[in-house]
Amino acid sequence: MTGHRGDDRAAPRRRGQGELETQVLAALRAAPGPATAGWVRERIGGDLAYTTVVTILTRLHVKGAVARERSGRSFQWTAVADEAGLAALRMRRVLDSEDDREAVLTSFVSTLSPGDERLLRALLEAAEPSEEGD
Amino acid sequence: MGVFVFLPLVLPLTAWPVARLAEHHLHPRAATWLLSAVAAVLAVCSTLCLGLLVVVGTAQLPGNPLPDGWSDPEVRAAVPHDEVAGRIAIPALVAVVAACTVTAWRHLRVRRRAERALGGLAGSSVAVLPDPSPYAYALPGRRDRIVVTTGMLAGLSSGERRALFAHERAHLDGRHHRFLLTVRLAARANPFLRPLRTAVVYSTERWADEEAAEAVGSRRTVARAVGKSALISRGSPVVPLAHFAEAAGPVPRRVAALLGPAPSPRIWPPAFTAVGLAAWGATAGTTVSAFSSANAAVTLFFILHAATPM
Repeated sequence: MTGHRGDDRAAPRRRGQGELETQVLAALRAAPGPATAGWVRERIGGDLAYTTVVTILTRLHVKGAVARERSGRSFQWTAVADEAGLAALRMRRVLDSEDDREAVLTSFVSTLSPGDERLLRALLEAAEPSEEGD
Repeated sequence: MGVFVFLPLVLPLTAWPVARLAEHHLHPRAATWLLSAVAAVLAVCSTLCLGLLVVVGTAQLPGNPLPDGWSDPEVRAAVPHDEVAGRIAIPALVAVVAACTVTAWRHLRVRRRAERALGGLAGSSVAVLPDPSPYAYALPGRRDRIVVTTGMLAGLSSGERRALFAHERAHLDGRHHRFLLTVRLAARANPFLRPLRTAVVYSTERWADEEAAEAVGSRRTVARAVGKSALISRGSPVVPLAHFAEAAGPVPRRVAALLGPAPSPRIWPPAFTAVGLAAWGATAGTTVSAFSSANAAVTLFFILHAATPM
C-alpha cells in the first residue's frame, strides 16, 4: 500500500483523478475569462495529453463544477465552483451512490420518524428556557 | 467434542440481556468496549466451529479433496447428527464468508471514495463543504477529517457548532469506526449477534456525545446540537435511510440522555444488579464459547490427525 503511494509521488502521470480535476479547476479559475482546453493544458504544464484535459473538463462539466459554451468547433470553459464546491459535489455523489454509507461513515444524526420528530421538539422545548444566549 | 461444537453457534444469545440493558445502565464507553469485545470473541468462536463442521461435512461428500481417512466412521462419530449438521454448515460458512467480505469491502470502498472526493482540499482537519443539504460526518483515514456542510452549520449556534465538532472529533480520536466494523462483521458471522451491533452503533454515538459534553462543558448545548441537526437534516436527500422503526429512535434517546444526569464513569457494574448479572452472563457465555470452540478444534485436530494415513 505504501509502495503504491510512493509510485504516485514518483510518477506524476499516475496522479489520482481527483487531484487532476482539482488542478484543472484551479487553472480554469485563474483564467481571466472563458478558456479553451488548450489554454488549460498549457497552464497546467506539458505532461498531460490534450484529450486528457478535455476528458477531465467534460467530467467536471458532468459534476456541475464548470460550464461550457460552444465556440466554433471547440468549447470555451468557465469554472462555476471552487475547490471546496467541487469537493462538495463529489461528496454528494459518493453519498448518493452508497446505499449503506450510514454503515461506514458515522453521521452526526440519523433519520427521524414522525414520532421521533414530535418527541424531539418536545424535549428541546422543555430544555430551552433557562439557556439561551451561549 | 460432541455437543461442544454446536455451543458457540448459540452462545451469542447470552449477550442479549446486556446488549439490552447497557444503554441505560453502563457508561457508553464501557458499553462499547464490553459489547464489541464480546461480539468479536463470540463471532470468531462461532465461525471456527462452523469451519469444523464444514470439514466433517465436506469429508462425507463424494469426490471431495480431503484425505479419505477423514470420512471414517470415527471422525463422523465426533459430531452428533454429522450428516445434517455437516451439510448445512457448508452453505452457512460460504454465506458468512461472503457477507463478511462484502461488508469489509464496502467499508473500505466508502472510505476510499470519500477520501478521494475531498482530495483536492488543503490539509485541514475540517472540510466545510458549500452545500445547502445538511450533513456532518467523521471520516477516518490517512488524514482524519470532519466533513460538514454549510447547510448544517447555518442551522446551529456557535456553541452548538463546537458541540458538533467535538462529537465528530471524539469519533475520530476514539477510533469508533473500528468498533463499528467489528460488530458489523460479527453480526454477519452470526445473526444472533445483531442486537449487539445495534447496541454498539448507539453506544458509540452516546460516547461521542458524552465526550462532546465534556469538551464544551454543557450537556444541554450538545443535546440541542444533536436535536437541532436532526430536525434540520429531516427531509434532506442525503441522510435518509431509517434503519430501525422502534418506539423512540436513537436521536430522541440521545437527547433525553444528555438532558439527564451524566452517566457514572464506573467501568464494571455492581454484580447484584440486573445489568451486573447480564454483564457477567455475557462474560460467562463468551468464556464458555471460547473453551467450547477450543475444545472442539483440538479434539477434531487429534481425531483427524489419527485418521490421516502417514
